[in-house]
Amino acid sequence: MNVQFKKGVLELCVLVMLDKKDRYGYELVQKISSQIEISEGSIYPILRRLTNDEYFTTYLQESTEGPSRKYYRLTDKGRTYLYELITEWNEFASGVNQLIKEGVNNE
Amino acid sequence: MNKHIFLQQLEHELKGIPAVERADVIHDYEEHFMFAIEAGKSEEEIASALGSPSQIAKELLANYHVKRATVSTSAGSIIRATWAVIGLSFFNLVIVLGPAVGVAGVIVAGWASALALVLSPLLVIVNAVVHPSTFLLFDLFFSLATCGLGIFLGMGMLYVSKLGKNASISYLKYNVSLVKGGLKHD
Repeated sequence: MNVQFKKGVLELCVLVMLDKKDRYGYELVQKISSQIEISEGSIYPILRRLTNDEYFTTYLQESTEGPSRKYYRLTDKGRTYLYELITEWNEFASGVNQLIKEGVNNE
Repeated sequence: MNKHIFLQQLEHELKGIPAVERADVIHDYEEHFMFAIEAGKSEEEIASALGSPSQIAKELLANYHVKRATVSTSAGSIIRATWAVIGLSFFNLVIVLGPAVGVAGVIVAGWASALALVLSPLLVIVNAVVHPSTFLLFDLFFSLATCGLGIFLGMGMLYVSKLGKNASISYLKYNVSLVKGGLKHD
């Protein structure tokens, strides 16, 4: 697979998972790596960057079992950004799908 | 590679960032190991799924230095950010270093020319002191004119430098947002 695709896709994945509820880092990494083959370690720098850009806030929460978890919460700024990304992605994906459909039908 | 070696290597590669931030990064990965071990995975499995600590460190360093360059105005911070982004991959050596050298060249040359023009009356005066017989009033007036030109060029260079800085930061940010070697199968 081409490694030069935009990290924006991973950003979109992370942001969209936080739209409806707060999640902790390990949970986000597991969800993404179950769908997309990626080095799991590369998600944490993205989480850190998006937190620096004020798209997320973080908080620690004790759990009944095991260590405390660092949760990520989407900010209003993050939500606005997420909706922009979703629009961009949908336009991009439907464009590619249309070209694939035309290409396959012409064969 | 086990948990200890992974974390040690990551910590070692992150020497360039402040201790508080480094500790926070290490904590994230420690937490990751704890949850994955709870889920029944071995340390070796977890480390290999995480990927190379040095690649992770490069990403973190590039993010850190680009963030620093955005808030600071010093040339040093931009150079460090450029260097960190170049470190992300060999590919960046070409696509980041080339333009960086070009932009830096234009800015340095512009400032050097402005400085030389501004200082030209001084050279005429020095010349008049050393060889009084060759002094021409025309030289002095001409050098005053080039001095004025130098001041204008200097004003222009202030603008060009600022533009160069902002463009460099945007370009570095764009490069940081590309995935490089983050995927398992290439």
